[in-house]
Amino acid sequence: MAKFNFYLGAAASAWLLAILVIVSELISPFKTFLANVFTHHWIGKAVIVHLAFVVFGFLLQNKKSILNFSDEKAAWYSTIASLIAIFLFFVIEFVK
Amino acid sequence: MRDSLLFAHIIAGLALVSFPIIILLYLKKKPKWLKALSFVTAAASWLLLLPSGKLYITFYPATKTLVKAGSWPWTHSIIMETKEHWGLLLPVIATVAAGLVFAGKAKESKKWWILLIILSALIGVMGRIVKIGALK
Repeated sequence: MAKFNFYLGAAASAWLLAILVIVSELISPFKTFLANVFTHHWIGKAVIVHLAFVVFGFLLQNKKSILNFSDEKAAWYSTIASLIAIFLFFVIEFVK
Repeated sequence: MRDSLLFAHIIAGLALVSFPIIILLYLKKKPKWLKALSFVTAAASWLLLLPSGKLYITFYPATKTLVKAGSWPWTHSIIMETKEHWGLLLPVIATVAAGLVFAGKAKESKKWWILLIILSALIGVMGRIVKIGALK
């Protein structure tokens, strides 16, 4: 995986998405800020998350592991964790 | 315009289920067209953002009002909110899977293609649930 690390790009974007979703729901001025800058908060999240995928994919192209996890495992578990975290967050927000 | 976007949205979504199934079926044989189909699938996942974004931003607010006023408000608060954000990871997942095929790591790409199939199908089902929620 020379020149571009798909795995760590995916890991970074997965975590960033979960963070952006949770922070923008809990801190409404941040959601407004995203909407003001990108015309809609969803577009803001899309641009930031996908830019992170590209930027971290290039920046971390030579890294094979992160925090004792192989890049492959970091990407897989980060993606799954992000998907679960987003779903659980909206369940909790609705129920509380 | 709404109908055209909806058709594009559904067709691209179906491509993200059917293309990876074809890719998985031929992953071991590694035919010449495997990389091309992987590229097309990843490209479709990025292009899908256009109709889905336009539908969500321009046309969904009216549906959202109906859903939230109805007896199934959770279809917006949980299902739609989750769906709109899960969808942002589809291009990432498809690109990782395609990138692995291009890097000669077809075997490692298997679980990413499976995740793409499951997530795309789930998002389709979630869209249907939200639609039902608007009628309740």
